[in-house]
Amino acid sequence: MIAASAGVLPLDGALVEPALSAPLSARADVADRALVKRGSGEIQPVLALADISLSFGGVAALRDIDLEVAQGEIRAVIGPNGAGKSSLLNVISGLYRPDRGRVWLGEHSFGHVPTARLAQHGVARTFQNLAVFKGLSVRDNVLMGVAHRVRAGFLRQIAGSPLARRIEAENRAAAEDVIGFLHLREVCDRAAGTLPYGLQKRVELARALVARPLLLLLDEPFAGVTLGEKHELAAHVRNARDSYGATIVLIEHDIGVVMGLSDRVAVLDYGRKIADGTPDQVRSDQAVVDAYLGVAHADETEFAL
Amino acid sequence: MDATSNPRQTLPVIDRILIGIGAVITFGVIPLAGSDYLMDAVLTPFLALALAAAGLNVLTGYAGQVSLGSAAFLAVGAYAAYNLHLRLPELPLLLDLVLAGLVAAAIGIVFGLPSLRLRGFYLAVSTLAAQFFVQWALTKFGWFSNDNPSGVIDAPALTIAGYSFTSAAGRYLFSLAVVTVATILTLLLLQSQTGRNFIAVRDHEIAAKVIGVPLLRTKLLAFGVSSFLIGVAGVLWAFAYLRTVEPAGFNLDRSFQILFIIIIGGLASLRGAFLGAAFIVVFPLILSRLGAALLGGVFDSGVLEMSQRIVIGALIIAFLIAEPRGLIALWDRFRAASAAWTGLRKTFPATDTSRS
Repeated sequence: MIAASAGVLPLDGALVEPALSAPLSARADVADRALVKRGSGEIQPVLALADISLSFGGVAALRDIDLEVAQGEIRAVIGPNGAGKSSLLNVISGLYRPDRGRVWLGEHSFGHVPTARLAQHGVARTFQNLAVFKGLSVRDNVLMGVAHRVRAGFLRQIAGSPLARRIEAENRAAAEDVIGFLHLREVCDRAAGTLPYGLQKRVELARALVARPLLLLLDEPFAGVTLGEKHELAAHVRNARDSYGATIVLIEHDIGVVMGLSDRVAVLDYGRKIADGTPDQVRSDQAVVDAYLGVAHADETEFAL
Repeated sequence: MDATSNPRQTLPVIDRILIGIGAVITFGVIPLAGSDYLMDAVLTPFLALALAAAGLNVLTGYAGQVSLGSAAFLAVGAYAAYNLHLRLPELPLLLDLVLAGLVAAAIGIVFGLPSLRLRGFYLAVSTLAAQFFVQWALTKFGWFSNDNPSGVIDAPALTIAGYSFTSAAGRYLFSLAVVTVATILTLLLLQSQTGRNFIAVRDHEIAAKVIGVPLLRTKLLAFGVSSFLIGVAGVLWAFAYLRTVEPAGFNLDRSFQILFIIIIGGLASLRGAFLGAAFIVVFPLILSRLGAALLGGVFDSGVLEMSQRIVIGALIIAFLIAEPRGLIALWDRFRAASAAWTGLRKTFPATDTSRS
């Protein structure tokens, strides 16, 4: 029930309270969503991967990956370089087609996720290397996040028909909401390409959040930002879950930030999932320690736990 | 919300006054007081080229799809309007104009199909196919030119609702009215979600796809709108400016000329298209007058002609090194500086908010 039908969601600026007071009421909203159950009575995960395998030529990027992400959690996927983290995200967002296995978004299952329909399924993502629209203003970038809601054809948009005007006004209200939430107000008229890197990352987050996604995929959100920005960004990610009710899957290198931020952590190594659990469980897992400290393969010791 | 800037917001008072003054001059003073030479040889071709450049800018500047087939769509517009007028004489001329634009749009969409797989130089090469195919078809099949052996067509007299627009001033006014309406409609389109989609597809296609921008529809729409505008410009070129055209007049040189206009004027700016067109039309005239006055006694006209081209080419290179974003960036900087000087206006936004 939860994933596909946008009607269940609090859409279009239903949540307009200021960010400070938002978390309390929004948590209740998250709880409501978590109560949506399957016919059988078990709680439906927002995202489930079943037996996903992917290879490029002869190189296996992902092998037999199973993953379930529960409603409202922040789930990190970590692993050394080349472990298959980005491939996993690209499979979930349909940019790659897995050789085997299925991706469940709510109650819909896909062999190959239709990228063009991700937004309708309540999925948004950011990219490892910035993917803001450099030539658009910050506000217009955020507005792009709800582009899929514009149902009026281009002639109606030129003529400014009532439908086109109503959708435009709704989208603008939603965009202003997120711009305030992520403190982008001062720069919202500037071209996104002219902003510093950390701010562009925030613009991308705002663009992903504006549609109030059920599932938010973050591809290395902390890569290349300064330490101060990292803490700020981590707070924004947590707020995104708390106030916007998004379930978050994030890929990260930086174990330090991830352990403090995530509810559960899955660890990939050479395309396999070698551990999955709370940060504490993962930290004490021998296989994870080996993977990171280089017992298994000495050339991958990028980060020590 | 108060901070929401609606794209259809009312313009600042000064801009309104400027637009008002501009309208009085262009629609009133020039037709009454301007010489035939000014309207015939300068302003009418300027308007047609500016509209064509605006059309190419929608496709290349905004949607990021390179095209070298602009002249082909000019030709399609011109020949479509000619045939509509010839074969369906009961249709009013303005309807011919719109239908000719639609024919050009249809052809543009067909040649835009490769853009789904190709980009950059590869797409540019495939749009060359439009350039050569259209020119060949117009020469090969006599039907298009009513069986004129060399494909030449003579434009009919411009008559709308009984009023004749055949004088130099009439043809100028007709062009001006068409270009004004087309530009305003294009501006409204570019400020809508469709315009944002164009830029999103240009700046990051995969991100746009993930967000839910329909790539196929957006790209083909860009090709369609662009070709429509260029097609209408082609009608103006043939009916209001030259009045006798042949397929060879719409060759690759013309496509390049329109591409240079948007590069010099500024990509992704309608005002840039107008500035670039003014530069391309007026600058050679000034240079040739200047050259003839200063060196007319020393060199013959052939040498002067060639050296003009060299000077223009060198100036374009120097200018683009100094300001790669085109004339419009210079213009905006100038306005911002003068605004800061007079203190009359707040910062002028870098995006298009007013007409040329």
